[in-house]
Amino acid sequence: MAERTACLWCPDWPVVALRARDPALCDAAVAVVARGERGLVVIAASTEAAAEGVTSGLRRREAEARCPGLAVAEADPQVEARAFERVARAVETFTPRFVLEEPGRISFPTRGPSRYFGGDTAMAIRCLDAVHHIGITDARIGVADGGFAAKLAARVAEPGAAYVVPPGESPGFLAPWPVAVLEDPEPGEAAELADLLVRLGLPTLGAFAALPDGAVLGRFGSAGARAHRLARGDDEATAPPGPPPPELIETAELDPPAVHVETAAFAAKALAERVMARLGALGLACTRVMIEAETERGERLTRCWRHEGALTPAALAARVRWQLEGWLTADAGGADADVGSVDELATSGLVLLRLVPDEVLPATGRQLGFWGGDPAAADRAARVLARVQGMLGHPAVVTAVPQGGRTPGERVRWVPWGDPREPARPLEAVAAPGANIREIPPWPGAIPAPAPARVFDPPPPAELLDAAGEVVTVSGRGDPSAPPARLRCAALPDRGGEIAAWAGPWAHDARWWDRRARARRAYWQVLVAAPDGERVACLVAVTAGHAALEAIYD
Amino acid sequence: MVLAGERVLAVPGPLGELLPGGAVQRGTVVAVDGDPGAGATSVALQLAAAATAAGEWAAAIELDASLGGLAAGETGVALERFAVVRRVPPARWAAVTAALLDGISVVLAEVPAYARVGDTRRLLARARERGAVLVAMGPWPAEAALRLRADGSVWRGLDPGAGVLAERDQRVHVDGRGAAARDHVALVEAG
Repeated sequence: MAERTACLWCPDWPVVALRARDPALCDAAVAVVARGERGLVVIAASTEAAAEGVTSGLRRREAEARCPGLAVAEADPQVEARAFERVARAVETFTPRFVLEEPGRISFPTRGPSRYFGGDTAMAIRCLDAVHHIGITDARIGVADGGFAAKLAARVAEPGAAYVVPPGESPGFLAPWPVAVLEDPEPGEAAELADLLVRLGLPTLGAFAALPDGAVLGRFGSAGARAHRLARGDDEATAPPGPPPPELIETAELDPPAVHVETAAFAAKALAERVMARLGALGLACTRVMIEAETERGERLTRCWRHEGALTPAALAARVRWQLEGWLTADAGGADADVGSVDELATSGLVLLRLVPDEVLPATGRQLGFWGGDPAAADRAARVLARVQGMLGHPAVVTAVPQGGRTPGERVRWVPWGDPREPARPLEAVAAPGANIREIPPWPGAIPAPAPARVFDPPPPAELLDAAGEVVTVSGRGDPSAPPARLRCAALPDRGGEIAAWAGPWAHDARWWDRRARARRAYWQVLVAAPDGERVACLVAVTAGHAALEAIYD
Repeated sequence: MVLAGERVLAVPGPLGELLPGGAVQRGTVVAVDGDPGAGATSVALQLAAAATAAGEWAAAIELDASLGGLAAGETGVALERFAVVRRVPPARWAAVTAALLDGISVVLAEVPAYARVGDTRRLLARARERGAVLVAMGPWPAEAALRLRADGSVWRGLDPGAGVLAERDQRVHVDGRGAAARDHVALVEAG
């Protein structure tokens, strides 16, 4: 059962933060843009701009065309995070166990505060009052079982009001939502998953949730299984923070004490990379991190940040930086020092920074620093491969995935780079659960190792001749007409030569289940004489009397 | 400061014993050549395996699509860190190779028959600048720190009408600084 969670959401937070910095914009139509794949697109718009038809996802130029006089500003996550620190402090008067998800959204478990204030609704109204008091009027709260449902509940709440999903009713609340809500804030795997589900005829979370667990895991992998748990309202994300594994904690002492954000952020960046390298070496990913700092005067500051999906080193460093802005920049406290605890603002330089990976999961999808590899090298490799895919098209860059089959060509599936590395056929017809990949025997009838280093697609035509110069045929029972004596093929040195040794034929029914594509094929392994007394080892396939050079053991 | 281990890429196994210092220099070109069937591809794959064994990344550029993925795995290449760019148009070959050298430690590139010398010089400079190893497969018209020529193999296990290919002794000729005295050393590869 997912933990009862509240989610406080301030819509269009970038606009709120911008207006807090520049009060002249308070009554103007404002849009905040960010650089995305399509250039500058709107990520947040004020109500005045929205009334003119400016919506998120619109390109800057279109937005300006729809709403003349629109004030456009580029997003600045640091300013947004700094401004949000005020809201964090207001929420802190209710519960210390809150988690920052992004600037504009906080979630916290409601068990303690709701009991104290007399129910979820009463607690939510108190909380909204406190946020209203610091000048945030259109915040809303959703309360539900699990963080995912709470986030969606906040989306349907009226401005300045709460939407409470009664306990146990989260699955029913989630069911009518479109699967697109599974998307991460940074589109990636989940966006593809949502797209695929719609095409499979599963447009809503309810339809997706009705699928059996095992089938989802088998078809969509671990990312799909996680999305399926979310869709069912079984949200593992807001598990109560237990004691963090002590060996994962990384600490940096700052000497001299850091008074400026830049100095502290510099140390924090190295710290974030160390944490991620340590996690990567253990095959773990982190979804929630506790940022702790100590000041010269012995104050201890703590904040918890959460991220949908695993944190990358860059995302972690950004969050630490945002938090340092909140602590070290005086204007974050501002006029609302009466609300919230003043001691959350550092009164002197920071002497110690500590990152505590608070919620770690086994890394399944993008395992970057595998085998102690350098995560920065993985980032660089991913970037250049994406650039080549941009030049030649997505399917031009591939990676080999071993799979079941009999011939060298069948036993490898070439998957476009970045797609899930999943075999199309199991490595073994009946795979024992948990079997080690090295212990899995090859398919019966598979051509034994070593594998040829060149496998041709399409195979060049060849001629397999016997001692009398006749083409060697293979009968339906797999018997050859005569032993092969000569192989001729344009791809071989000297266009082929005498056969010094051979094995086969191995008869092989290709695609016997398919009436049109079925073919009987016979394979020969041959050693062909080349100039200077060399020998070339090849694999020859004979289909309906036509031989072809399938592979060379180069 | 650059550590000695960062300037070279250690090559494990029998191929490493043939190379000067048991390693290839980062930032250089290794030219690998040989007739079809003589084993040039296997030699190149061992260099890719050296990169992935060190936790780094490798990639291959092919003008067709014939590299054996299974053979790569058997040679010891960690396939999840080995990307293959297939059917590269010869006109874009140099641009693709240059892009890969930017972020990948060992790049195996099949060289088109009429590669421009200017392009190959530029790639040489790019590899040096990025500290990557460019393994040029086929005729390489520019200079190379190491030239490896596959000279053929002796296969064991296959007889007329019996057995299967099981073991190979591969001969590789190494030419380059620190390797002038070596010639035709057997590389044993058990199947």
